[in-house]
Amino acid sequence: MIQDPLKTQFKVKGVVVITTAMLTFITAWQAASIVLCDFASSAFYAGGIAMSAFGPAFPWYILGVMLFAGLLMMMYIESCSMFTRGGVFPVVNAGLGENAAKAAAAAILFDFTLTGPISGLSAGHYLSGLINSVLRAIHIPFELPNETVAVIFALLVTLYFWYQNVKGIEDSSDKSRKIIRFSMVICLILFVWAIITLIMRGHINLPPFKPQLNEVSLGLASNFTFMQKIGFLGVLVALGHSVLALSGLETFAQVFREIEYPKIQNLKKAALIVFLFALLFTGGLTFLSSLIIPPDLIASEYHDNLLAGLAMHLSGPNFLKLIMQGAVVLAGVAMLSGAVNTSIIGANGIMNRVAETGILTDWFRKIHKRYGTTYHIINMICLMQVGVILLSGGKLYLIGQAYAFGVLWSFVLEMTSLVILRFKNREQKRDFMMPFNIKFDHYYIPIGGAFVVIAVIMLAVVNLFTKKIATVSGFSFAALFFLVFHISQRLNAKKANDIFEEGHREKLNQTEVENISKALEDIKGEKRILVPVKNPENLYHLEEVLKNVNDDDTEIIVLYAKPLDTWSVGKTRQATAVDEQELFTKVILIAEKYGLSVHPLLVRCNDYSYAVAQVALAAKVKEIIMGVSGSFGANDQLERLVMAWGAVQSEQDNEKTSIVAKIIWEGREVSYKF
Amino acid sequence: MLGICYYLSIGMTDISDIKVKIELDNILLIKENITKKALVEKLVRCICEKNPSLNVEELLAAVLKREEGISTTLESALSIPHARVEDLDTFVGALAVMPKPIEDDYGLPIKVMFLFFSPAGQPYFVKHLKLLASLSEKFTPEFVQELTTCTTPQEIAKKVNL
Repeated sequence: MIQDPLKTQFKVKGVVVITTAMLTFITAWQAASIVLCDFASSAFYAGGIAMSAFGPAFPWYILGVMLFAGLLMMMYIESCSMFTRGGVFPVVNAGLGENAAKAAAAAILFDFTLTGPISGLSAGHYLSGLINSVLRAIHIPFELPNETVAVIFALLVTLYFWYQNVKGIEDSSDKSRKIIRFSMVICLILFVWAIITLIMRGHINLPPFKPQLNEVSLGLASNFTFMQKIGFLGVLVALGHSVLALSGLETFAQVFREIEYPKIQNLKKAALIVFLFALLFTGGLTFLSSLIIPPDLIASEYHDNLLAGLAMHLSGPNFLKLIMQGAVVLAGVAMLSGAVNTSIIGANGIMNRVAETGILTDWFRKIHKRYGTTYHIINMICLMQVGVILLSGGKLYLIGQAYAFGVLWSFVLEMTSLVILRFKNREQKRDFMMPFNIKFDHYYIPIGGAFVVIAVIMLAVVNLFTKKIATVSGFSFAALFFLVFHISQRLNAKKANDIFEEGHREKLNQTEVENISKALEDIKGEKRILVPVKNPENLYHLEEVLKNVNDDDTEIIVLYAKPLDTWSVGKTRQATAVDEQELFTKVILIAEKYGLSVHPLLVRCNDYSYAVAQVALAAKVKEIIMGVSGSFGANDQLERLVMAWGAVQSEQDNEKTSIVAKIIWEGREVSYKF
Repeated sequence: MLGICYYLSIGMTDISDIKVKIELDNILLIKENITKKALVEKLVRCICEKNPSLNVEELLAAVLKREEGISTTLESALSIPHARVEDLDTFVGALAVMPKPIEDDYGLPIKVMFLFFSPAGQPYFVKHLKLLASLSEKFTPEFVQELTTCTTPQEIAKKVNL
């Protein structure tokens, strides 16, 4: 039967806007800020906790750990150049297998579960310390209970950032940037003032290098006399107690996915910012604190708020020092609160990487209808952190003692995997390699990488013996989470198998809108490119577009024109629709790889070329870039597109639009300017 | 046989105009039932009669092969079967108007069929595409409907050339 030639027959029948938090990208500064909020915030507590563990030698070891962080970050850059969705899980999975990856993820989750509370509590201690200083200065005989204030404050901050993370990362990364900017200014003032203080004093008493190990700092090692000898082993014990200064470094790998174009260059930039700032802030200020504050005062008064102590022992009038303390506390509270945020972001990232392999059930991956975030995971992480805060009773040292198991063992597994991958995945592209390699045959023997692996293994093994609380609690937590992953994987076995066979599917929000114009409302830039996609295995053209777009102003609209039942064009009457979730997952992964945002759009239609032409016209794009069809060939495709373009243009009353259409495939392209 | 030759001129912006040679005899008003394939063959024969150097079988095979690819029928009920042919240095075409629409391979109605051949050389490909774009723009549903009311080929020619 002949259909009526309806003018609306080839008009798109449904427009769906696809949204996901996965397409929000951040600058190198924002990435560095997220990492620093966690990593550098340890400056506020690491020195004090290390002092409590092994005495006045602590600044040397904190400084040493900060320098070591530089090497770890170089390893991280190499891992990120191989895995866009990087971090411990995918790297260990590729290097050592799934069970090791689950163990590493469980270990690092323990780290994130502690860094949030330790940061929140530390901020509470700083705040409480400042209020008590002010109360003393104005002669009010009242003192706030430090630990209770710390618990209340930590709970409030955790709740606040729980809400922010449920809302989405873009919002929270902006806040991190503001916090770090402010902290940088305070850090600089404190640094310069501390140097002036030392010059005015006229003498410097360097702290001793030899750590004072006692029964507590030796932990289980106190039972082995050979481990009590101060020498290389003693240095390792002290370094092990200073490792909590590395808190949050894994966030560096987690944020890579979100870094904007050009990704590796921006990651290197972020690494340099993080390294210099952490060295100056954590290493430098901890060192200056030890030079300026008498060691007995650090041990008795300032172990929970070392930098506030530094501010109060600077040379100058008391009121200025109190103002400085206020500024330090403000920066500390902001930064430590930011660390609570990044610990949630980091843990969420880890859980998402685990979930992507199908190990976790759908419950974990459920996304928020409005914000597109994995809110079940976020809820779970925050609940665990609230539990730790309450259990600690506000005692910072207690959490400090529990810390280091997760971070060290995840480092061991991750760094070992990276070294193994140099041989196992020899041909995998690396835009960056950890320096110090020897080229042998087709291999780059990782001498630098091996040094890092040996160093973290030694630290981790020594810590097993010296940090009893960390070993017991860390092992228990990691074992519990390993079990959760294992059980969840069993429950999800069928789905995991599907995911393995079909590939990972990104959770997407699909919002039906009235028309094409409505779908394009949020696109602001005027330079627009339309990239129609229909085959998840044929996205070469999208990669080429993303590879060649080198500015922030180009808006890339990725269109899937999904065929309706009345599809009319092609060799067969019925065109095959593909799973849009699979298609857009591939689109998102490619966009992530290049760090460029795209606007995914789905329209339902009964003629592919007409749909493309309608969207191109409505979006006022400058270019349409299509992939070649396996069924028809580029010339036929271009012919149909120009016919559709002409037909759609004829319905427009306004001025004719100039546009370039290209069909590109490996090494070739055909183009036409309308 | 009237022996009048029309040139469908397509105005262009940045390249010279494309002229499609259509003899008046190649403008058909089809009132009887006919299949799409038969109509294509009829139009190819018309073109070849006026251009003896062209081979009917080769051209028919070329246009039918193209029709196996992406459809050349538009929403406006215009069908534009075509092929790019070696040894041709000008665009040649034929036009058929069907007051009673025929059906294309996918069930879409065809009221006007504009069949043409273009030179195969690469420099002509842009013109070939521009011709397709221009035809689809010019033959709106209203215009196609208007053509179906014509009673003679001369009237069609007049309307098409404007």
